[in-house]
Formats: sequence, C-alpha cells, structure tokens
Amino acid sequence: MRAHLLALGAIVVVGAVAAFGLHSQVTLELLFTFLLYAVLGQSWNWISGYAGNVSFGHAIFFACGAYAAAMLVAAGFSPWLAFPAGALVAGLLAVITGFPTLALRGHYFSIATIAVAALVDAFVRTTPWFNGANGFEEPIRNGWGAMQFAQKTNYVLIALVLFAFVQLATIVLERSRLGYYLRALRANHAAAAAVGIDERRWKLIAFAWSAVMASAAGVLYAQDTLFVDPPSVLGLSVSIDIALIGVVGGIGTVWGPAVGALIYVALAKGVALQLGGTGKGYDLVIYGALICVIAALRPRGIVGSLVDASRRRRGARIANDGAAPVAERAA
Amino acid sequence: MEALSTFAQLVVAGVLTGLVFALVSVGLTLVYGVMDVVNFAHGEFLMLAMYTAVGLALLGVGPIFGLPVVAAALFVFGVIVYRVFVRRLLAGPPEATVFGTFGLLVLMQGLAQAIFTSDYRSAPNPPFQGTLHLGVLAIPQAALVEGIGAIVLTAALFAFVEFTETGRAMRAVAEDRVAATLMGIDVQRINALAFGIGAACVGAAGSLLLLSNPAYPTVGVQYALTAFVVVALGGFGSIQGALVGALLIGLLEVLGGFYLSPELKMVPVYLAYLIVVLLRPQGLLGRR
Repeated sequence: MRAHLLALGAIVVVGAVAAFGLHSQVTLELLFTFLLYAVLGQSWNWISGYAGNVSFGHAIFFACGAYAAAMLVAAGFSPWLAFPAGALVAGLLAVITGFPTLALRGHYFSIATIAVAALVDAFVRTTPWFNGANGFEEPIRNGWGAMQFAQKTNYVLIALVLFAFVQLATIVLERSRLGYYLRALRANHAAAAAVGIDERRWKLIAFAWSAVMASAAGVLYAQDTLFVDPPSVLGLSVSIDIALIGVVGGIGTVWGPAVGALIYVALAKGVALQLGGTGKGYDLVIYGALICVIAALRPRGIVGSLVDASRRRRGARIANDGAAPVAERAA
Repeated sequence: MEALSTFAQLVVAGVLTGLVFALVSVGLTLVYGVMDVVNFAHGEFLMLAMYTAVGLALLGVGPIFGLPVVAAALFVFGVIVYRVFVRRLLAGPPEATVFGTFGLLVLMQGLAQAIFTSDYRSAPNPPFQGTLHLGVLAIPQAALVEGIGAIVLTAALFAFVEFTETGRAMRAVAEDRVAATLMGIDVQRINALAFGIGAACVGAAGSLLLLSNPAYPTVGVQYALTAFVVVALGGFGSIQGALVGALLIGLLEVLGGFYLSPELKMVPVYLAYLIVVLLRPQGLLGRR
C-alpha cells in the first residue's frame, strides 16, 4: 500500500511539473488524454476487473458526464455542476441497469451491456431534449468559472486531480471490505455467497462507483473538446476503446489501467506519426495482437503478471485469481 | 387491404432477414454448445469469409460456386485458430475467452483495415440481382437464395450433430467434458473440429451474404451483435433454437423498423435479449 501511495505521489508531482513546465500544447493534450483514459480504464476496471463483470457498454456512463456538462452549459449553468449532476445520473443508471443484469454470468452480462448501451444510444438519438443526433456544441469562453482554458495546462491539472482521486480510491479498494468481497465473488461466487457475501449489493456499489468515475471523465472530455454527440461519447467504439485500455494493462490491478492508457496514447500517437492519418488499422493490429498474446499467455495482463512475479520472488503463495488475497487476510 | 398486403410483405421480408441471421448464428451456437466459448470475433470470421469470396469472384469463381471453397478455407482457419489460440484461452481463467476473442476481433478488424482499407468491395456481376413478384409480394432473389441456403445449412448442421458419430461425440463433450474424456473421446480434437465447423458455417454465410452486401472491415459487427441476441434467445448451444430465435429477431427488426422508425429498428431486438436473459436465461429452446 505504501508503495502504491509513493508511486501515486511521484506521478502527481511529475504530472504537475510537466503541466507547468511543458509549453507544447500537443504534448499537454497527449498528457491530458492519457490521464482521461487512465481514469476511464480504472472506472471500467472496478466492475470488469475487480468484480469480474466484463462491460462492453461503459460509454453510457462517460456520456452521462459529457452530456451533463454540455446541457448545463447550454442552459446557462456552470459546467462544474456537471460533476455532481453527471455522477447522480450515472450512478442511478448503473443501479437501474445493474440491478437486473449484474447477476448474469460471463458473456450473458457482457452482451447485456452492449444491449443496454445500444438502447441508451437509440433513446438519446431520438429524444429532442438531447438534441438527437446533432448533439451539443459549447460556446467558446475562458476561465475557471467556465472550465474552459486557452492553454492546456489547466486541463491537465484538473485531470491530474481526478486521476489521483480515482487511483487513491482504487488503492483503498484493494484493502477494503468491498475489494475483498469483489475478488472473492469473482474467484468463486457460490463459495462467496455461502459465507454470506451479498453479490448484488456489493457489485451494485462497485458498479455505481465505476459509473461515477466514468461520468467525471466525461465532464472533462466535454469541456476539452466542447462538442458532444452520440457517436463521439456513446458509440460502441467508445465502449470498446475503454475495455481495450482496461484489458491491455491488466485487469484487477491498481496500475493496469494507467499502463493500458499509456500504451494506448503512445500507440495512437506513434502510429499517427509513422504512418500519417492513413495509418488507421495498424494501431488496431497492435492492440489486438497484444490482447491476444496477453489473454493466451498472461491472462492477468502486464501489471498482473508483474505482481505475480514479485510475489513469487518473495516466496509468497502465488495469487490464484483473487483467491489468495482473501486467504492472506485470514492468515 | 393495403395495410394487409404491406404487413404480408413485411412478414416475408422479416422471415428472409431472419434466415440470414440464422445463417450467421448457427456456427456461433455450435461453438458455444461444445466448449462454452462465445466467440466475440465471430463477425470478423464472417468478414474474412466475405473478403475471401470477393477474392474468388475476382478470379472468376462467383459467390455460389465459390461457397464450398470459402467454407473449406474458413474450416482450416478455424481449426488453426483453435489449435494455436483458443486452446490456450480455455486453460486460463473463465474471462480469458472473452478477452481473447475480443482481442482477435480487434486484430482482424485492424488487419482488414490495413490491408483492404475501409472501401466497400463487392463481387463483380453477382448473380440473383432481380426481384421475384408473387402476387402482391415482391421478393429480392438474393434474399430468397440466402434464405434457402440458410435452411439447407441449418438442416445439414443439425443432421450432422444429431446423426453422425462425430456429432454424438460433440454432444457428449458439450454435456460433460470430463466424462467424455473418460469414454475415450479426444476433447481437443472435437473442440478443434467444432471450431472449424463453426467457422465453415460462417464461410458459407459470408459467400451468400455477398449476393446482397459488400465486404468492408466492420461488416461483421452488426451481424455478430444480432447473432449474440439470436443465440441467447434460442438458447446458447441449440441449433434449432438459433433458427427459431433468428426468425423471431428478423421479424422484430423488420416490423420494428417499419412501424417505429428505421433508427429504432434494433430497439425491440435488444429489448428481446434483455427480457429473455433475465426471465428465461436458458433461452426459448435451451436446456438446463
């Protein structure tokens, strides 16, 4: 736990120095994107990694925040209100959709998340209140009150605060009752239920938290791009990207999503530099190959494998998919 | 009378659409039934089949005569994918198959985009482009051929699984892997075979779909999503269930698209999935 906190502190310091020290807007935008995706990946990781319910519809929670920001601004309110408003809507949406679906196992749940996301997408597209397929364009303003900045530095700072908060929450999760219960449920839901762990209750809590984190990332996204419409925040491809980031780095680990986001941003940037705008496809090839190799050889992802390796070195019992932490605690 | 003939037309269109869905879904349900794997890359196998069929058509072998070749090629591809990749996923934790086949989806889409670009590719001069008029009904010939193909393929697959020795072995593996092993069944061989046959089904489906659709890198996504719903509706692993589910989904989609709005045509389909998995998780015709 101390190592996690030290690492987080180091990243926050380096991030803050970079935010003030770097003057290239392109680099700052990349840093911002990295932090945003790391938050989204972590949000996904709570329900899909720790709880083991793989979601392919996570974009709807991201969209809650993005739409909350764009719609509040359109109605003349401060975008800062979108953090609580988006969180409330996302949390409610998670509880309403999670209550019936979280008990579904494996691919039943995954396909249900695709179905729910598609229904939400159809609803938003056809409802005038959400401006249908047109979405919202925010007027250009400047300053902290409008959460819009000409320089990217402040975006990076807000994203850094959000990232630190989300990482901190995850570090706490690892050592909390909720974290142990989720991993126990993932390892063996029948055995966990037998010792009195209420699956629906704990998974709903994790799902709601996950939704709230994704919504906060959505608010930042809307204030950075100033444009929100169904394909850009609600499409299946957005959900797929979030899952991609979560899987590549390693599921059910504190730093997996950040590593996944780093790979994502580096690849997107690297491929664009090497092959120009026409390079579309090559990045997918690399992610795809990476996920295939990880799934086949190292199902616990890059960070998960490193964790295993370090435990092995210390001669500790190798974690068997979340079962070990429970045993460790009992010992 | 006007409304009635419109409805009849819609029902025919729905049934034909449903048959196309059945064509894509039977392979998915077979693989699921035998080894408990939902192949999220199923749509990309379809995409590969369509590109293969386009390639054959460019060499002068049209989609209909090229069908056995494409099916055979996909069979080999499926067996290789199983032997090299899926076998390893099965040895890992349960979510490894979800992530692994999802990675395969991303990889295959990326390769298709890199190699073929996002352009639409069609077979040159495909056959069956006319429309058949039966009284008030107008039926596109391509849809009719696809529908007949779907019925033949589903029947053939059903007969294979029900009546052949290998099919019996597959059902044994589906029922109890360990017991099947003890009875001297080579589970790895049966799994590989099932994966290959599932891919071959999609190969046949891709050839037929080329009559009415172009090939492009993401062509499989929508079909695969529908196939997941169809397979869940019919009961994962049930071939006749997939046929029934597909017809239902075809009707729902066509009627929904007409009476609600084209933008909402998938809404009844996804609602049907959620209702079925929540109320009757084993599907309409599934067991257990």
